Parts: sequence; C-alpha cells; structure tokens
Amino acid sequence: MVNSLEEAKEIFRYRELLRNLVARDIKVRYKRSFLGFVWVMLNPLLMMLVMNIIFSEVFKVTTKNYTAYLLSGIILWNFFAQGTSTAVISMVQNSNLIKKIYMPKAVFPLSVVLSATINFAFSLVPLSIIFFITGTEVSSHVYLLPLIFILVGLFSYGIALVLSTLTVFFHDTIYIYDVLLLAWMYATPIFYPDSIIPRKFAVILQFNPLYHFITIFRGALYMDVPSLAGSVFYGVLFSIASLVAGWLLYNRFKDRVVYYL
Amino acid sequence: MIDISHVTVKYRLVKEKKRTIQEYVIRRLKGKRIHYEDFLALREINLKVHRGETLGIIGHNGAGKSTLLKVIARVIKPLKGEIIVRGSIAPLIELGAGFDPELTGRENIYLNASILGLSRKEIDKRFHKIVAFSELAEFIHSPLKSYSSGMVSRLGFSIATEVDPDILIIDEVLSVGDEHFKRKCDERILNFKKKGTTMLMVSHAMSDVTRLCDTVLWLDHGIVRRWGSPQTVTDEYLKS
Repeated sequence: MVNSLEEAKEIFRYRELLRNLVARDIKVRYKRSFLGFVWVMLNPLLMMLVMNIIFSEVFKVTTKNYTAYLLSGIILWNFFAQGTSTAVISMVQNSNLIKKIYMPKAVFPLSVVLSATINFAFSLVPLSIIFFITGTEVSSHVYLLPLIFILVGLFSYGIALVLSTLTVFFHDTIYIYDVLLLAWMYATPIFYPDSIIPRKFAVILQFNPLYHFITIFRGALYMDVPSLAGSVFYGVLFSIASLVAGWLLYNRFKDRVVYYL
Repeated sequence: MIDISHVTVKYRLVKEKKRTIQEYVIRRLKGKRIHYEDFLALREINLKVHRGETLGIIGHNGAGKSTLLKVIARVIKPLKGEIIVRGSIAPLIELGAGFDPELTGRENIYLNASILGLSRKEIDKRFHKIVAFSELAEFIHSPLKSYSSGMVSRLGFSIATEVDPDILIIDEVLSVGDEHFKRKCDERILNFKKKGTTMLMVSHAMSDVTRLCDTVLWLDHGIVRRWGSPQTVTDEYLKS
C-alpha cells in the first residue's frame, strides 16, 4: 500500500515528463500535415456516413437521430479503443529508456490515455457541427460531459496499466487484446439500438462498462435516457474498479519489468 | 553518500524462446514446468562511497559494472540487499535518451531533462546555460534530425551535466565531440570534482581512472575483487 502511494507521488514528481510525452504525441500527430488534423476529424465522420447508409437503408434501423446516435457512439468508442490499444505497447516501446534511466513506468500508459482524452475533446468539435446541421437538440444533462472524460479516462488507464505491464511478460498480449476489442465493439450498442437486443441477453449489456459510458455520453448530449442515473452509478463503479485493479497489478510487477524488457 | 550492503542481483533467463500467453497456458495445461537459468550478476556487494568521493569501477565485460550502476540509479531493484543513497542522482549514461528527431533542439532539451527528473521551472532556469555550453544556439529551433551526430552528443552531454546532481553516474562516457569540446567536457568533470560532487565512473581507460578517481573498485564476475587506491587496483587489474 505504501509502495503504491510512493509510486503515485513519483508520477506527480515526473509530471513534466508526462507533459512532454503528451505534447510530443500531439505535435507529431498534428504537425506532420494539415491533413493529419483534418483526418482525425474526418475519420469518425466518414465512418458514421458509411454506417448510417448501411444500417438505416440496408438494415432499416429506425432510431431517432440516428446520425447523432452513430457519431457519438463511434467517437466514444474510439476514445477507449485507441487509447487502450496504443497503451498496450507503451512500456515495451520505451524499453531503451526504462533499462537505462529511472522513471516511474506508469507515466507511459498514462501519457497515452491523456493523449486519447485530448483527441476525444477535439472530436467534440465535428460532433457539435453535425448536431447543428441535423438540428439535434442538446440535452439538459450536458453538465455530465466532464464526468464522461473522467470516467472513461480512469477506466482506460486501469486497463492500460494491466495491458502495458502484461505485454512486457507476454508478447502476444496485443494480438489477444485486438480480438477482444473487436468482440467488445460488437457487444456495445454503437451501431445498433440497445432495444434490438433480446430480453435474455440484455442483462449482459449491464456488465459491459462501455455500454454505460456510451449511454451516459448520449444522455449528456441529446438522448432521453430513462436509466441515466443507473448508468452513472455503474459507470463510476466500473471506473474505480478498473483503476484499482490496474494500479495494484502494475505495482506488483513493476520492479520485475526491467528484467524482461 | 552511498551505502550498499549485501546487494545481490539475479537475472532469470527463460530457457524456452516463446514468451506468449498461448505458450504459457498450453504449458500449464500440459503440466510441464518452465526451465529457468538463474544468473547472478552481482553477489553480496558491500560498498560505501563518501560525499565528494570519486569512485572508479573497473572490470572485464560482463563483470556487473553497469548492473551495479543501475542498482544505485534505481533502475533495477536487487534480489536482496540494502541500498542507502543520500542525494540526487543523474546518469551520464544514455546521452540524448528519448531524443526525438522530429522535435526541435529546444523541445528535446525539455523532453530529455524531464526524463532525468527535472521540473519545468528547473529546466527553465538551466535552459540558456545548456544551449550556451553545447554551442548550438543558432540551431536550437531546428528539428533534431537536421543535426550531425556530433551536435546531438554535445546537446546530450550539456543537458546531462547541467542537471547538477549530488551524485553523478558516468558509464564510460567521459567526453564527446571534437578536441575543443572534449576539453570543455573534461573541464566540466573536474569542476564537479572541485564542487564536491560524488562521482561513480565506469571506465576501461585506466589513465582516466587513475587521474580522476579517489578510490577504485574492481568487479569480477559479480563480486568485489579489489577495492582501494587507484594505482594499486589498476596495476593489479592490468597484471591479471
């Protein structure tokens, strides 16, 4: 326990490193080309367009404000999925540093999750533009938006800590996680309304943290969600659980990491 | 001040090549045990370094010199033993650690210095001195990929030595660059000595060792073979 606390203090002590890692990531991503900046915005929009056509024309899905539904789901999912899958290799990628100089290794997955959070913030811009174009009304619960940042961020960090530590010892972690993510994506109502899930499977949705995060996000933005309070409750629970589990696992194995890099 | 006792470092080498979850699960299901080979890089090391002392560490390749430095620098946690270190540590090990070719010299200074543990304010204070020592003022806003390798080393050395730690750990990098810059590096190292900075130096250059060190430690296969005055220890080492 004391060990964990010390480590948290160390991360704070190295906040300048964190800041530089995040700055580097943002600069490299957006400096390269103006198109790079546009592409980050464009990507979810294009995906939304394609899915929109497929699901509303081909599968005849009739959800209210389907465009907003899709785009909000895609953006939130990307926040979690890209954040965690990039974080998987964050320690291994920096092995040359970790093997030579001391620093709290948790800063690496943390910088990845922070970058993903900033990218998520940027993507709210095209989202609001789409809302304006489609005439989607913003919900009265929009004050919940900051909460989404915190919940998904903390949840992602917990997962990132587990994955990045595990990858040091087992190199195939990333492949397994990629497959897991794919299944997870289909188990989350991004493209389809949760109403089409048959009753007996609906319970499984409750165990999917991303289901709750997406519900809160949509509820905060525009959707009328009856179970909003419930989702917030479960969202908080899952976030804390993930962070605690990730933090404990990381601290248990962090001293062995350098021997396996 | 450094005081370490009974420090033992064990590296565990896994005999089988594959380190994947797949292999691990299959192996466990089959009931097979994983074969390890344990290698003791350091065995029961006892060492004391006083404030302001310059300790030289010599030995053949694989003797454990870098491992010892890493243990003191908190990079590795030993299997057993106690380590007491009083004072801030800066490594002159991997010059330009974390340098990113896409970022400018200035951005790299901040990145590299933050890797060494400095806060933003501390870096702000030292920025101009770092640029001045490296003699790279004109190029500081150009991306690092446009620098020559000599320029990169000079920048790395500048940053690492401007940190001004209580304990400086040097792993075979005593000076970089051309004759003129090498002299500046040497001057800086001597300045550290004068200031009373504690220094740990791994080197294969016996001349540097006898010239700069107060005491010398000879590491052989993970144990302390000799520990004493520079001339005596280096003579014995060379004779072996």
